[in-house]
Amino acid sequence: MVGCRRIVDCPPDKVCLRYMAWGNPEQLGVEQEMIDRFNGQNPDLHVRLFRVPGSAYGQKMVLMLASRTAPDVLRVDHYNFPALAAKGYFQDLTEFAKKDTGFREGDFFPTAIDEGKIGDRLYGLNALFGGVIMYYNKTLFKQAGLEDPYELWKRGEWTWERYRQTAKALTRFDAQGKPRVFGTAIPPFPATSVAVWGFGGDLMSPDMKKSEVDSDGTVRAYQFLADLVWKDHVAPTPAQGANSAFAFESGKLGMTFDWMGMTPRFRKVVKSFDWDVCPTPKGTAPRSNVIKGNQLVVSANSRHPEAAWRFIRFLTSEPTETRLCAEIRRAFPTRIGVANSPAFLKTDQAPFNTRAFVQSAEGGRTLPINERWGEWTQIFNSEVDNLLAGRERDARTVLRRAKARIDAALAEDPGF
Amino acid sequence: MALSTSVRRWTQRPSFWGFLFVTPWLIGFLLFTAGPMLTSLWISLHKYDLHTMEYVGGENYRRLFSKDPLFWKSLKLTVTYALFSVPLGILGSLSIAMLLNQKVRGIPLFRTFFYLPSLVPAVASAILWQWVFNAENGALNLGLAIFGFAGPQWLQDENWALPAFVLMSLWGIGGGRMIIFLAGLQGISETYYEAARIDGASPWQQFRRVTLPLLSPVMFFNLILGIIGSFQTFTSAYVMTGGGPNNATLFYALYLFRNAFEYFKLGKASALAWILFVILLAITLVQFGLSKRWVHYEGDSR
Repeated sequence: MVGCRRIVDCPPDKVCLRYMAWGNPEQLGVEQEMIDRFNGQNPDLHVRLFRVPGSAYGQKMVLMLASRTAPDVLRVDHYNFPALAAKGYFQDLTEFAKKDTGFREGDFFPTAIDEGKIGDRLYGLNALFGGVIMYYNKTLFKQAGLEDPYELWKRGEWTWERYRQTAKALTRFDAQGKPRVFGTAIPPFPATSVAVWGFGGDLMSPDMKKSEVDSDGTVRAYQFLADLVWKDHVAPTPAQGANSAFAFESGKLGMTFDWMGMTPRFRKVVKSFDWDVCPTPKGTAPRSNVIKGNQLVVSANSRHPEAAWRFIRFLTSEPTETRLCAEIRRAFPTRIGVANSPAFLKTDQAPFNTRAFVQSAEGGRTLPINERWGEWTQIFNSEVDNLLAGRERDARTVLRRAKARIDAALAEDPGF
Repeated sequence: MALSTSVRRWTQRPSFWGFLFVTPWLIGFLLFTAGPMLTSLWISLHKYDLHTMEYVGGENYRRLFSKDPLFWKSLKLTVTYALFSVPLGILGSLSIAMLLNQKVRGIPLFRTFFYLPSLVPAVASAILWQWVFNAENGALNLGLAIFGFAGPQWLQDENWALPAFVLMSLWGIGGGRMIIFLAGLQGISETYYEAARIDGASPWQQFRRVTLPLLSPVMFFNLILGIIGSFQTFTSAYVMTGGGPNNATLFYALYLFRNAFEYFKLGKASALAWILFVILLAITLVQFGLSKRWVHYEGDSR
């Protein structure tokens, strides 16, 4: 049962901490490796990894926090972080950070620090940081005689229009009219925000009280995305894309927007074609890439917050990030120093455009996530699905309705 | 002395043995079902997110009935699903049970084969059916194409997603329900058929006048369980469509689950659960009322 708090095999002369995380076996393997290293370096502490499958993680975490049985340290997806922080489940780390002479906010990407803050109080340090990046199939580009998008990006020519033309040039149908290769695919929300922000639109007002999905830029962005599917036929319809028929790994997709953390998977499964990464197309806004991470937090009822702080500092330290982000590439480093280190930038296997990760992170912004995120994105997704699945064709109509419904929901008492 | 007589008096009652045998279940029910049920009734009168709890009276219910279009949508589609999947499923199970009740060589083998699909875990069969319904390369549409039909986009089409679920529910016709029918069929004595044949009854008349009436208690049992089961459809929708497209497969149980464990609106979710309970209780009571007209128990005077 979750109620048992005594830590098994805790040495009597040590302070024991439990750390809860999820991930695939490789990810958890690295975390265990880091924990072993930490335990070796800190004779007074003993950390135990508490694994929970990803599918049940969110529920388990909420129930443990609510019943005050949560482990000392948890990794929380940023989607859930603000809502849980608002309930007072996490330790305020501001004072720990102030007292810690080795900790300097300036060492980290500002977006990485921002995600862990509520107002100006620090509640978590970022881990598994990263954001959206464009993966592209170099072999398909070569076959179609297209110029490398990263070269175009460097010259400032990698625009949304250019992206659309490229998608057209990559798409191929067979003699029966069946699609063989699609130029691109529409990613699930919130990765679509790269287009929303790129076209100058927005999702929420700065105070996150009102929806702005009916703004001109957002409408243009979604019309653009829907047209890629229904007008240009360069991206699969939901039916064509069902069961991952045109997944990037299949080699039947030219370009896709996905999380930076997909790299180890593509490295492992992609054998039949060359691929690389490139920042998302340049839009009108200076920062339009989606940034998101997880936060390492200390449970409010941990009896050893001081020790817990030392542990999360270790997990966000240079050696850990070098191992996790540079060698395994499971995520993007939160530390500017690691991102610009030769360990991160030099590589002997794809993706070779490692600078593109740094450029994407620098050109990125965080999502407007607060405790109402889950609620309004549910409405937004169901409305936008009408557009992307082709049941409706006019983005403005759909997004106006979405805004009205979201605003109505946000005006409601949140508990019901 | 007095003790032993009173004990004997107790043990002589048939109800004593009845209760004795169901005691393990009874304890389990009171402890693990009735307790949480009453708690959920209490929670349904609150606004509760696992953190703060506030008494709101019937507000959760009022909001569901008056200003929650998704509640009505999920209820409507669940009822529609039940209306199609239950009769079709019972018809299918009965037909297979009749076939498997024939005296043919290798019948145990056939029975095993027809039962096999129900041994596939629900999640695995949901993923399997996701492939069957694939609009481009699915077995179903490829099969239809052979006969010159262009199949719909099934799970991606708002209008065809629910029919797809009904179709998929027939995958389960060879399962437990079929076994119960089969047991029921085997319980019908051959003498009835003999007598009917001597009276010159056609096979259809034998089925209509002998099999169906004698099978009616089993039918009744399967009907009640079938309706309850179809109202609780969850796994397939959770795995295959996540309630989409455009909430076309947002089954009641899925909507309930989401409110409870994704949005953590425990008060609303509890209210949803109680509404479902009342609906199912009402349907079952009506069924019991109607059953007097068509269910015949052996030894009945009718």
